[in-house]
Amino acid sequence: MKILKFLITIVTDKRVVLIFRLILGVTFLYASLDKIAHPEQFAKIVYNYKILPAFLINIFAVTLPWVEFLAGLFLILGIFCESASLLISFLLVIFLIAISTNVLRGVNLNCGCFSTNPAGKKEGISLLFRDFIFLFMGLMIFFFNKGFSTLSSLYQRKSSRQ
Amino acid sequence: MQVYQRSNLFHILLKATGIVILGSFVGIIYNSLSPQGITLKGSWSRKVTQDSLVVPYSYQKDDPPAVSLDYAMMKFQSAGTIFVDARYPEDYKSGHIKGAINFPYEEFEEYSSQVLPKLSLDKEIITYCDGSECETSLLLARELRDKGYKNIKIFFGGWSEWQKSGLPVEVRS
Repeated sequence: MKILKFLITIVTDKRVVLIFRLILGVTFLYASLDKIAHPEQFAKIVYNYKILPAFLINIFAVTLPWVEFLAGLFLILGIFCESASLLISFLLVIFLIAISTNVLRGVNLNCGCFSTNPAGKKEGISLLFRDFIFLFMGLMIFFFNKGFSTLSSLYQRKSSRQ
Repeated sequence: MQVYQRSNLFHILLKATGIVILGSFVGIIYNSLSPQGITLKGSWSRKVTQDSLVVPYSYQKDDPPAVSLDYAMMKFQSAGTIFVDARYPEDYKSGHIKGAINFPYEEFEEYSSQVLPKLSLDKEIITYCDGSECETSLLLARELRDKGYKNIKIFFGGWSEWQKSGLPVEVRS
């Protein structure tokens, strides 16, 4: 019990949450870059997930990386942190569903998480595990960030002083 | 733990929607300006050939011919045709068409010195992968054709169709 309490104190500490914020922000920012650079390959990966209807595949492949990019950037800078972390958590839930349906189907898919290169294949289970960790970080940021070292809070402090 | 008021939560959701809209907007603009840009409405429906074979969307008319399960089965029984499995070694090891050679497309360079001597330029080669939704059999067939192999066919039904029909399989080796 003591260990559990100790762990909870650690993961809800605002400095730890700040680290989560930076990790998740950099991860999303980094993950978006390769997809932005190679939309065609990414569209192919989206197609291989066999979840979206055909007419949505390219639109999704063009827009998702930029949403990830912005959400990651906002998380790092600390602008709209709650919204960015909520959005990222939402995306992660969608990714979890997408990956697990394909794991259940027995499809050996290319994740397309960080790289559009077909050689970037990984085991579905380890992808799910990684996703869960990110999701945990996302939710921790949403509930425990409390505006610690964010640009938004800096701006608010400045304007309240005036 | 931060407790959010309902009105507060509404604002957070509104901003999150804003990020999505802004991101989508930037994405579409960037895509239309970028030389790597793609059409927003791609053609992703599965193709069916004249012989009513299901092939991947990227299959072109000038690609090596697609063959049916019946054809693959006939060639399997008459021998003289080499079956080439384009899947990953671990998939191959857990089960493949009896007598098939493993030539993972993703590791083409590493495997070519070992596999190419086993293939003759004129002998019939049939490539396959998981099933109609995989592409590696097609990509491998194209690669082999470019290397000068003339008699290549692709069995898009692949491992899944073969296995379902209870045809001879092999584990490992």
